[in-house]
Amino acid sequence: MEENGIYGGYTGALQYVLDDLTQKITEYSEKEKQETGIKLVEHLIARIKEEDSMREKCRRREIPETPYSALRELNDAIGIRVVCGFQDDIYRNVELIKSLPGVEVVKEKDYVKNVKPNGYRSYHMILLVEAPFKDIDGNNPGKFFAEIQLRTIAMDSWAALEHQLRYKKNIGNNALIEAELKRCADEMASTDVSMQTIRDLIREDS
Amino acid sequence: MKLLLAEDEQDLARALAAVITLQGYDVTQVFDGEKATAELRAHAFDIAVLDIMMPKKDGLEVLRDMRKEGDNTPVLMLTAKAEVENRVEGLDAGANDYLTKPFAMKELLARLRVLTRNTEKSHEALTLGNVKLDIENQELSGTSSIRLASKEVELMSYFLRNAGKELATSLIYEHIWKDDPDVTEEVVWMYVSFLRKKLESVSADIEIAGEKNGTFTLLEKKK
Repeated sequence: MEENGIYGGYTGALQYVLDDLTQKITEYSEKEKQETGIKLVEHLIARIKEEDSMREKCRRREIPETPYSALRELNDAIGIRVVCGFQDDIYRNVELIKSLPGVEVVKEKDYVKNVKPNGYRSYHMILLVEAPFKDIDGNNPGKFFAEIQLRTIAMDSWAALEHQLRYKKNIGNNALIEAELKRCADEMASTDVSMQTIRDLIREDS
Repeated sequence: MKLLLAEDEQDLARALAAVITLQGYDVTQVFDGEKATAELRAHAFDIAVLDIMMPKKDGLEVLRDMRKEGDNTPVLMLTAKAEVENRVEGLDAGANDYLTKPFAMKELLARLRVLTRNTEKSHEALTLGNVKLDIENQELSGTSSIRLASKEVELMSYFLRNAGKELATSLIYEHIWKDDPDVTEEVVWMYVSFLRKKLESVSADIEIAGEKNGTFTLLEKKK
């Protein structure tokens, strides 16, 4: 049954990589907490992309619905979202993820600095993670893609609500709603920056 | 541009209305103070010209009522009394400018231009380097945009209007927080810090130089 799925026989390996990454992130954040008192990760969501949505994505990209497409052409079969308290924590997380053993950063996009036109803010990384399993190219240990999204609680709230609105109705052409959603994103970003500044000021004083 | 003209001397009023209309203003004319107040309450004007000596209610009362009700429309007072006391009284009551009769039409028009130019200016965008401050929408933008709190807008526009000048903490405090008895000069550093981070977050190529409790200067970053 599993062999016939979009991930072929690789579901177990994917689950291993997902758990392993989650554990490593949790470990370094606990260590950081002990050393600096800063909670680097507010919460974390980890998932293997659902069969249906992976198939749907293949169709949208006009590539065959095969394990090769799912594991090599696309790179978000494994997805982890790291939600942080403060903006600077995003960059500290990025730094620590880059230094994880067996992890190679293939691609990264800083949408916190280079904000998307609709107001979306987030830091995206595509990783190639080594694991003691055979991969689709036959290598063992194999390499598996994982996508990491890092954002603040405020950015995460905005993205979640914007997603809800977008999926309920086709708002693509409503310029006023687009503009107001962007204004909300800019306002939440403003709060993020103010909170960061306050944290910095408190630390300077102490 | 909508202008309210409150002047009870018929001949002068007619002449004024004709000349001002000719300059492209949309003139509403009234001949006593009560009507002036009624018009000001009912409609939005870009500027009001009020004579002091008017029947039913004088121009000073009209002006005081406006300000009391929160109407900040620019007001040019016309006065026949040339004494210093009267002019001071008018300005203190909230007038933006005054003219003593008799006056030259040319001067009246020039003063109207000054008063309306100021209101236009407060809504225009201020720019320096790659940064734009949209005051009306409280938006600061560089390569991306961010919203500002109202005090941040005031402070940022103060910096932009005085770019390159050294602004002392006490001067900034006086300018932005003078009417706020609950805060101390400490607030300046906090808001400068907010603006610095927000400028950074839109990848601004300008920066606020200076240190805590010292003087601050808005500058273009050295390339």
